[in-house]
Amino acid sequence: MNVNKLFGLTRSVSFGRNVFATRVAQKGDCVHHFRSRRFIRSSARSLTYAKDLFLGKVNKAEVFPFPEISKEELEELNQLVQPVEKFFNEDVDSKKIDHEAVIPPETLNGLKELGLFGIQVPEEYGGLGLSNTMYARLGEITSLDGAIAVTLAAHQAIGLKGILIAGNDAQKAKYLPKLATGEHIAAFCLTEPGSGSDAASIQTRATLTEDGKHFLLNGTKFWISNGGWADIMTVFARTEVVDKDGEKKDKITAFIVERAFGGVTSGKPEDKLGIRGSNTCEVTFEDTKVPVENVIGEVGGGFKVAMNILNNGRFSMGSAGAGMIKRLIELTSEYAGTRKQFNRSLSEFGMIQDKFATMALNAFVMESMAYLTAGMMDRPGVPDCSLEAAMVKVFSSEGSWICVSEALQVLGGLGFTKNYPYERYLRDCRILQIFEGTNEILRMYIALTGMQYAGKILTGKIKEMKKGNVGVVFEILGKKLKDSVVKTVDFGLTGKDGVVHPSLTESAKMFEQNAAHFGSTVESLLYRYGKTIVEEQLVLKKVADVLINLYAMTAVLSRTSRSISIGLRNHDHEVLLTNTFCKDAHFKNNFLLTQLQKNSPENNDANIKKIAQEVIAKRAYVCSHPLDRTF
Amino acid sequence: MNTPRQLLRIQCIARFLGTPIQRVIPPTGAHLQTPGTQHKYGQLLRPLHCSAVCSTSRPSQTPLEKTVEAETLKKDRSLVTHDDLFERAARDSKTKADFNRVVDVFSKKDIRRRGHVEFIYAALKKMPEFGVERDITVYNKLLDVFPKEVFVPRNFIQRMFNHYPRQQECGVQLLEQMENYGIMPNVETKVLLAQIFGEKSHPMRKYQRIMYWFPKFKHANPFPVPHVLPSDPVELARFSLTRIADDLDAKITIYQYPSTDITETGEEVMRPHIVGIQSPNQRTLLAKHNPSRPVFVEGPFPLWLRKTCVHYFLLRADPIPSEETVEEEFDLEMMGPEQSLFYPQRLELDLERDMGDDFRFDVDDVKEGPVYAMCMAGQGDQVTLSQWISGLQETCPILGQIPTVFRLESGPRELQTTSDAQQTPEQEVETDPIIEEEPLHSQRVKQ
Repeated sequence: MNVNKLFGLTRSVSFGRNVFATRVAQKGDCVHHFRSRRFIRSSARSLTYAKDLFLGKVNKAEVFPFPEISKEELEELNQLVQPVEKFFNEDVDSKKIDHEAVIPPETLNGLKELGLFGIQVPEEYGGLGLSNTMYARLGEITSLDGAIAVTLAAHQAIGLKGILIAGNDAQKAKYLPKLATGEHIAAFCLTEPGSGSDAASIQTRATLTEDGKHFLLNGTKFWISNGGWADIMTVFARTEVVDKDGEKKDKITAFIVERAFGGVTSGKPEDKLGIRGSNTCEVTFEDTKVPVENVIGEVGGGFKVAMNILNNGRFSMGSAGAGMIKRLIELTSEYAGTRKQFNRSLSEFGMIQDKFATMALNAFVMESMAYLTAGMMDRPGVPDCSLEAAMVKVFSSEGSWICVSEALQVLGGLGFTKNYPYERYLRDCRILQIFEGTNEILRMYIALTGMQYAGKILTGKIKEMKKGNVGVVFEILGKKLKDSVVKTVDFGLTGKDGVVHPSLTESAKMFEQNAAHFGSTVESLLYRYGKTIVEEQLVLKKVADVLINLYAMTAVLSRTSRSISIGLRNHDHEVLLTNTFCKDAHFKNNFLLTQLQKNSPENNDANIKKIAQEVIAKRAYVCSHPLDRTF
Repeated sequence: MNTPRQLLRIQCIARFLGTPIQRVIPPTGAHLQTPGTQHKYGQLLRPLHCSAVCSTSRPSQTPLEKTVEAETLKKDRSLVTHDDLFERAARDSKTKADFNRVVDVFSKKDIRRRGHVEFIYAALKKMPEFGVERDITVYNKLLDVFPKEVFVPRNFIQRMFNHYPRQQECGVQLLEQMENYGIMPNVETKVLLAQIFGEKSHPMRKYQRIMYWFPKFKHANPFPVPHVLPSDPVELARFSLTRIADDLDAKITIYQYPSTDITETGEEVMRPHIVGIQSPNQRTLLAKHNPSRPVFVEGPFPLWLRKTCVHYFLLRADPIPSEETVEEEFDLEMMGPEQSLFYPQRLELDLERDMGDDFRFDVDDVKEGPVYAMCMAGQGDQVTLSQWISGLQETCPILGQIPTVFRLESGPRELQTTSDAQQTPEQEVETDPIIEEEPLHSQRVKQ
């Protein structure tokens, strides 16, 4: 009891900073840590977690302890979650939505009544005014129907986000109230026929009218979610801007466009593989008159707006994926427990157990990553969590795909039929790897952003090394020698003043080892490729994968440490999951990092490229048929 | 199995009828040589062969056999005789059937196959004339001329030394000719060789070597040309142009099909075919061409497709001088680090690739002008080619503003046979504006 009280005290001060403090002496320490973090918070946040990993640094202050919400917030959230969960369980007929490829108006009205169209809109504008963390929690439930989740995300995660983060007060006051209630639906129009992910080739053009009061918008936008029924659209178009040298230049500008402005036509909704109930279509603007007041931010500043919207909107996919997998585990475990094969229930077979473990691990890691990122974003200041958000998206989209496929496999042939929802989940979750930046592009983003960051800091050192500066070379050689002899890397995660619970020491050590190794690998990659690393996509893919694994390890370590310390229910299971995942990720990282070494025999990149080149040159499968003969 | 008996019977009948044996035997021979019976045939020949050996000692030699023998003896056993045989056979036509007939005549003429080595050499020489040099069945038939089993070594001494060297050489020569024409021997060849020369003879070795290397080299050429090229000039042009233009996106356009018109005055006007090829990349390059610089129509350049030579023309320009090349403007906001919407297209680092990881070859690039399009035409004159240019204008309107210079060399004879005088007035009108713009100095403009 005494210990518990102590925890309570610690929590009230610092949300369990240094959570396994069992001695009073450490409590003072915690407060000290807390204060120092407060200090960082109030300044412009200069600390970054993922970027610093590229330098081989672990900014534990950023990710430990695992972020929490206050008790009041939690209660409020729980009150919100219950009716939403009830609504999704009782009133949403996903099968019908999927079959008819439309969300019935009653369902939409229900969603509007629950306030789900304005989750993050401040209360003064009639929204729920929830934080990112709470938004992620609701995302877990909305993800039970892919079409609804995408419709809601297109509306508020990207559609109205522009107004929310970059709009001025007049714009907010004019548009947000109706958007928050769902009376108006928003869409985000960036992609064009000629530019999938290549935003630089946007062709839609906005020209200022002679009176200087309006822009005339012309162009076509492709694959616009909610494009068919959106009333308010965030549209990105080229405008002519006179820059400081007096030269005329084309710059991207963001506009708020109402369908009522005229000249807006939507094409036929696309017939899609999954998320069939959501509306995706082409939107054409023909001499649409947009008043100058409707420019978001400033003219020519649309790029930053788009970047901010996209980069920070991705984190919720982690919780959404986790929500879906949790539901799938419930559904499939029931089947596996009752179905008998060879006089044993399915759940007794090792290979079936393997699938459940995979699902549990993935859900656990996704959840941890999503809420860690959401928590980081909720901190005061202007957080730059785009790298973390991208990592969450990549990890969870791929994990969801694997898990849904495994869940379907448990049911065998039954899973393949339309009688069960698995095939629908499978189709729905395929889009996760594609939209909001394909995983390939996000991997490039993750790796290159980090490389740029590390490169700026390391350039001087590498140049000295290349020049043959004996001092620097010796310093590096000495460091390498030391590393190879001592072999222990210590970022202070464990041990005295450690932030990770002792029962996770082994996992934390693995993480530290990987993090240090990663830092030195990044340095050698910069040494080898310099700025031409942009062209080395296969290298960058591995770099991104290592970083994603590292971030995932961080998230689970942080989360489980907290769980153990505050004594959450079943935290022993979390320890198990954490240790399993960390061990697995550790070996994966080791392999990837070995591949990244120069002349490593594990690296097959050159061959992979060559195969692809030969196949693409022929645009066909190259080999002759195995049954062919020459004589 | 009673074929030899039949044969003998035919011989007997022939003797009674007094007809020359050559005329009677071919059909039987043909019957014997139906495909697939080679095995049997080899076996069947054995009694024949034996009889031939015995015949010398046989007292009762038939008069006919004697005459045949005498006939062959009478003739000089030189190459000329056998060449003669082919020449006589080929007086009216030279086909595979004729060739086969000659071989049959020889095989049946003399049961001892006297002079078969010379005959085979002569036949090998004549094969291209008869157009059978690529026919495996004919080669097998020729091999079949060799008597079976006589040349197979029977003891180790024979095996040690070159047994029947001339015959073996001849066999090797036959296989070599097959090799030179790229004909792969088949199982039939192998069976014949085994029957004639035995398992470890030189021809057999040759056969084995061919069978080792041929399959390996069969698909060595990544750009194979068929043995028989399309006869239609348009199809041939299509094939050749796609062969040169190594771009799967390149599109063939047929600007004009070959046709013959009769004008009001009764003159026959030949319209030559014009087939062009252009890839989308070439099209965009041409669209960016500076209209103040001329483009050139050059040609004809030869392209060899096995033994056929075709000619093609290029539409090209001089390399863009360095002062005119505009560096693609690079918008930092779109491409730079921490700016790009999705991922940075380049990093702002002052670090180059390390020498140890720079695997680029040091290639001295020669600056060459762009090639905008290619064509093949029935005629290599300017009128025809300006029709091609005007056809290209439909997709690349800018070509109308660019001065076009024709730098045509006097092409090969067959392209020039139809005279340039056959211009229709309207064609001239079409070409006129283009010619006006030509800078005439120093360019050899062919009218």
